[in-house]
Amino acid sequence: MSEMWINMGPQHPMTHGLWNLRVRIDGELILDVDPEMGYLHRGIEKISEDRHYNEVVTLMDRTCYVAGMAWEHLYILGAEKALHITPPERAEYIRTMSEEFQRIASHIMWYAAFVQDLGLMSPFLYGMRDRDLLLDLFQSYTGARMTYEYMRVGGVRNDLPHGFSDRARKVLDWLMERFKEYDQLCMGSDIFRRRCDGLGVLSAQDCIDFGVTGPMLRSAGVARDLRKDRPYSVYGRVDFDVARATTADVTGRYLVRMEEMRQSVRILRQVLDWLDRNPGPVMAENLPRWLGAPYAPIGREGYLLKREYPKGVGFAAIEEPHGEAAVYVVNEGGEHPYRVKFRSPVYVNLSAARKYLVGYHVADIPPIMGSVDVCVGESDR
Amino acid sequence: MTVSLYSVAHDLVALVLTAIGSVLPAPLSRWITNAGLITALGVIVFAAILLIASMLNTIVLIWFERKLLGRFMDRRGAMHVGFAGLLQNFADGLKLMRKNTFRPEEADGLGFYLGPTAYMVTSLILFGILPVSTGWNSGVLPLSLLLALVVFSFAPLFIFISAWSSNNKYSLMGGMRSAAQMIAYEVPLLLSVVAVVVVSGSFDLNTIVAQQQNYWYWGPLFLALIVFVAAMLAEMERIPFDLPEAEAELVEGWNTEYGGMLFAFFMLSDYVRALVGSFLVVLLFLGGWTMPGWVPSAATSFPLAGIVWFMVKVYIVFAVFVWIRAALPRVRTDQLLRVGWNRMIPLALLSVVLAAGVVMVKCLPVFGCLPNLGI
Amino acid sequence: MTAAPASSVQWPELLGNSLIALEPLEGTSGRLRFRAADAERVFRAVHDAGFHHLTLVGGIDWVDHREVIYTLWSDERKSYLFLSTDLPADHPSIATATKVWPSANWHEREAWEMVDIHFDGHPDLRHLLMPDGYEFHPLLRSFKLHEPEDLEVKVRHV
Repeated sequence: MSEMWINMGPQHPMTHGLWNLRVRIDGELILDVDPEMGYLHRGIEKISEDRHYNEVVTLMDRTCYVAGMAWEHLYILGAEKALHITPPERAEYIRTMSEEFQRIASHIMWYAAFVQDLGLMSPFLYGMRDRDLLLDLFQSYTGARMTYEYMRVGGVRNDLPHGFSDRARKVLDWLMERFKEYDQLCMGSDIFRRRCDGLGVLSAQDCIDFGVTGPMLRSAGVARDLRKDRPYSVYGRVDFDVARATTADVTGRYLVRMEEMRQSVRILRQVLDWLDRNPGPVMAENLPRWLGAPYAPIGREGYLLKREYPKGVGFAAIEEPHGEAAVYVVNEGGEHPYRVKFRSPVYVNLSAARKYLVGYHVADIPPIMGSVDVCVGESDR
Repeated sequence: MTVSLYSVAHDLVALVLTAIGSVLPAPLSRWITNAGLITALGVIVFAAILLIASMLNTIVLIWFERKLLGRFMDRRGAMHVGFAGLLQNFADGLKLMRKNTFRPEEADGLGFYLGPTAYMVTSLILFGILPVSTGWNSGVLPLSLLLALVVFSFAPLFIFISAWSSNNKYSLMGGMRSAAQMIAYEVPLLLSVVAVVVVSGSFDLNTIVAQQQNYWYWGPLFLALIVFVAAMLAEMERIPFDLPEAEAELVEGWNTEYGGMLFAFFMLSDYVRALVGSFLVVLLFLGGWTMPGWVPSAATSFPLAGIVWFMVKVYIVFAVFVWIRAALPRVRTDQLLRVGWNRMIPLALLSVVLAAGVVMVKCLPVFGCLPNLGI
Repeated sequence: MTAAPASSVQWPELLGNSLIALEPLEGTSGRLRFRAADAERVFRAVHDAGFHHLTLVGGIDWVDHREVIYTLWSDERKSYLFLSTDLPADHPSIATATKVWPSANWHEREAWEMVDIHFDGHPDLRHLLMPDGYEFHPLLRSFKLHEPEDLEVKVRHV
């Protein structure tokens, strides 16, 4: 067969979302790739400029639809810095808890989709089954399973319901058992190892040069985790290890994500214990009225008044399930942010696609791209 | 138990035609009851019965796989149409029938339609060849095993024709993979069959089963069984060897461009081939319709007991295929081909050598008096 | 390398007159305003000071001028650093950072199509998120969001 370009996407089972991977192949060998993005671009940065600070949270759930809480957390941290607002401690703990639950849910979703791409069907269903328990937990305290709209500038919308931590602990115990099962199904399978070992290698130097972060970077042996290196919320007060592998290949990324889920469970147990012991407010006092404390009706007197509040620039970066996410919020007076700029980890990880795809086979694309954990909503914003 | 299906069909047609002939005027009556016509109609009825039985079996097989796969995955499978979803596949079939059959503008018309049709037909022919029980098929085919394998190996040709004429890059890649894979695994498949032929001394499936009256071949020819099952999985294009239609990278492989009933042809043929594969495993290695001696005779002497036990074995073999599908990921093309040429063929050759050893041991008088224990 | 905080870097000595101001920014090691004309020299100096990871490149439209921000992370210092420079609104153009940080590639493509900042020497300045031939720059303040009934197709087919 002579060389040819094939379009893997925008409608293709490998893409898990709307994007197009143009691949130049010779037989089964990949010669060149060119990712085409933008099929899911909704202009979230632009829409944010026309919205009140709290209304942007709604968009954050849609940014990454499998890690909504993490993106809410990110944006709220940035917005609070830009507005010089400090949330109460309990709110910070609840946010940390939400982010860690979201990390497990996102990684389980990744696991399900990744293994499905290898043709292994059962773990997909197992993953969906177990993720459902986490969604149930989210539903019990936010009312929604995917688009939570839970965090607010200055705190979180509501406190946890009665008996939440007991339910959550039961789920965590169940998950720890299931993680063993996941490992048996994958690492215990010779075919799985043959499909994944030594694939999609991206060395630590290449990762840093191309801005690749998250499990991909940690699988190359670099222990960069913003939760550890630059603790935000209450990560400085909980005890956990940074998952790391040294092989820099698909198996390494798999192992890193599996270990991260276990570490998340560890964090969650500590956070839940703290939440049990320390009741308190979850919303900051004396928030400016224009911010619209959660349910301020539109048109109320004072709601649309020009505010008197110091300007500022807020920057926040968190370790999102896919990697390092950052936000840059410019507050220039007015009810809307002047500019919101997001850094999506998936976007940057994809930009290095040529580095980790060329030279492998067409059949290697699903495992490699699966190990990148593409979430198009997040990369296109 | 010597009544064959064909003789039943023949007698049935003769009965009906004689009845019709008795009320018709003499010249017409003579014409309608002549032996040639009765034979011709008998063959057609025989074929129709075969077709209906095999199609019903195929559809039940799909249901069986869906339910079993569901249980493996901690869910229930089809539940709503019919009892336990038994009619779900009929509903799916009707839906596919109602769909528009379309052809991409750039596709080659002849190949596009010929491919799935010929694939379907050659798969169905196999049911006319394989015996399900004593007296299932009419004629004596001394080389029925060889004929079955020849027809079975037509598939890559038609797959490649339909893939190529689809004029789609994914189809073409799928077709290439399919052809490479089937050719690579044809060799170990045939070699492991040779092991069976060496031991049984016949290419006739009826004789092979009759030879297993005393001991089934899966014990002495265990290596050949392993090679045969692995090669058969590759021939059936099931996980872990379903790379030609690896949906993660090739969308749907060689049948990407097919929809509606043409897709149903492929889908159905795949299951027909899965059923045939299970048939062959049972016929060659698991004693066909014979049962071990410790099974009470009441369980083996009722009418059609042979067919019942045969189908039980077939479904158990197929359950193993489903189990493999639920537990293993897909391999890669180069790995598959390397295993095929570098590992399977030497193993298959070894199994032939072992078969020769079995023939020598079989001559020992002790084997003549062994009861049939199912091994 | 010892983990020295970024504030210990003597930026004025390192950058000379390319540096306009060093502003503090909460939770980071500050914001360096530099002269756009010296961009390449600044990038190289900052990279050599240990900031190997480029987090984001973003453009901000301040109507009378444009601003480009670069966020950098240093593994050794465990801190972020912001670079910021002002560009004229009529012809915003700056040297590309891709030679120093290859990861700037897509960030700069995005900044170009969103805020109309031209990056000189960029290897592949094509549309990324917007369709080819899209002639607007959505994140400019002059680009207003419309009510649904005002929407018109803003793509010129090429």
